[in-house]
Amino acid sequence: MGGADDEAWEPHLLEEDDFLREVQSFSFWFEAVEGYLEDRPMGFDPDLTDTHFEPAEREQLITLLANYCVGETAALEASSGLVRLAANNRSQIFMATQAADEARHVEVFRRRLAALGVSDVDEVIATRANPALIEFRRHLLAFVDEGQWDLAVFAQNVLLETMEDTVFRFHQSTADPVTAQILEGVVADERRHLGFGENDLGRRLARDPARRHDLAQVRMDLDPLVLNSFEATYRDLGLRRDEFPDLGRSYLEAVERLGLDT
Amino acid sequence: MSAEFNPVTATDTVTVPDTGLDEDDTPRRYYDLDETGFREVPKRWRKFYRHWQGPGDELAPNEVICPVCKVVIRSRRELRPGDRVYCMPCMSRLVVVRHPDGHLEAEVVY
Repeated sequence: MGGADDEAWEPHLLEEDDFLREVQSFSFWFEAVEGYLEDRPMGFDPDLTDTHFEPAEREQLITLLANYCVGETAALEASSGLVRLAANNRSQIFMATQAADEARHVEVFRRRLAALGVSDVDEVIATRANPALIEFRRHLLAFVDEGQWDLAVFAQNVLLETMEDTVFRFHQSTADPVTAQILEGVVADERRHLGFGENDLGRRLARDPARRHDLAQVRMDLDPLVLNSFEATYRDLGLRRDEFPDLGRSYLEAVERLGLDT
Repeated sequence: MSAEFNPVTATDTVTVPDTGLDEDDTPRRYYDLDETGFREVPKRWRKFYRHWQGPGDELAPNEVICPVCKVVIRSRRELRPGDRVYCMPCMSRLVVVRHPDGHLEAEVVY
């Protein structure tokens, strides 16, 4: 087997176990996030000049960020709890890196709220949170409390992360420069999370196909909550229904690959 | 992404003819890869991935899109059906398949 310095070497030649050991390691996570965050200490270039917002634009952005905080806090609480439920050390390490990512997301969104002049961030989050997202958080944390790793990973890493990824990408394309840079870093993190979730569940379902029934039930309960909350996000972005980007497409593609679409 | 690189128009340099034979008995082409500004994996792996620019971003024969995270996966060699590739940004293991319309795509292997 060659090494990374060989001319012909490439990651696709790694043995599968070596590949997983590489990508689910703390050092891989550290070097990856260093690549896109080393010059963005709070998620954006500190030399970037912030936009002057009209009052209505500012209020709209505050509502969006308040709801992003709800989703990210739910993921922080769930992923930290999932460390204890992970089946092996490699998954524990990955979930610990995800908890660190989610903590960073909560921090950068809250600081962005403060930079927009919000004096009581907790109060704003509490008053502007979408009830559907609060209800989703309750279900997610219940799965963790019950020790249901696969249901929690589906709800968090497949359902929530895939839809967040779609919404954040769209918002990034229309946002002010500071918010756009913050979202760009969050999207890069989400790639790891949704990939881990789909692959972990895919392997589990290959071993235990009967488990699809339970996951399908979770879909029935939670899909509407997440769809409703992110459709509200699109409305907060000023879009009419016929202008909504296809929120569910990436999610439905993942569900189909996992065989959960029937 | 670096200012000079345009993934829509750029092509990798074919450098070394392969002596191996593929399904249609033609030798594989090999490519020198350069970094494209993709920074979401450790530095030693960055040249093997790039951001997809959306419709109009035509893939080279050594590239496929990861169906999970939509990053473009790149190889030093021309890809053919049955090849294994890894998407490090989202940790997926994939196999290259030929779509009925003739283009190559990647399928997740759990």
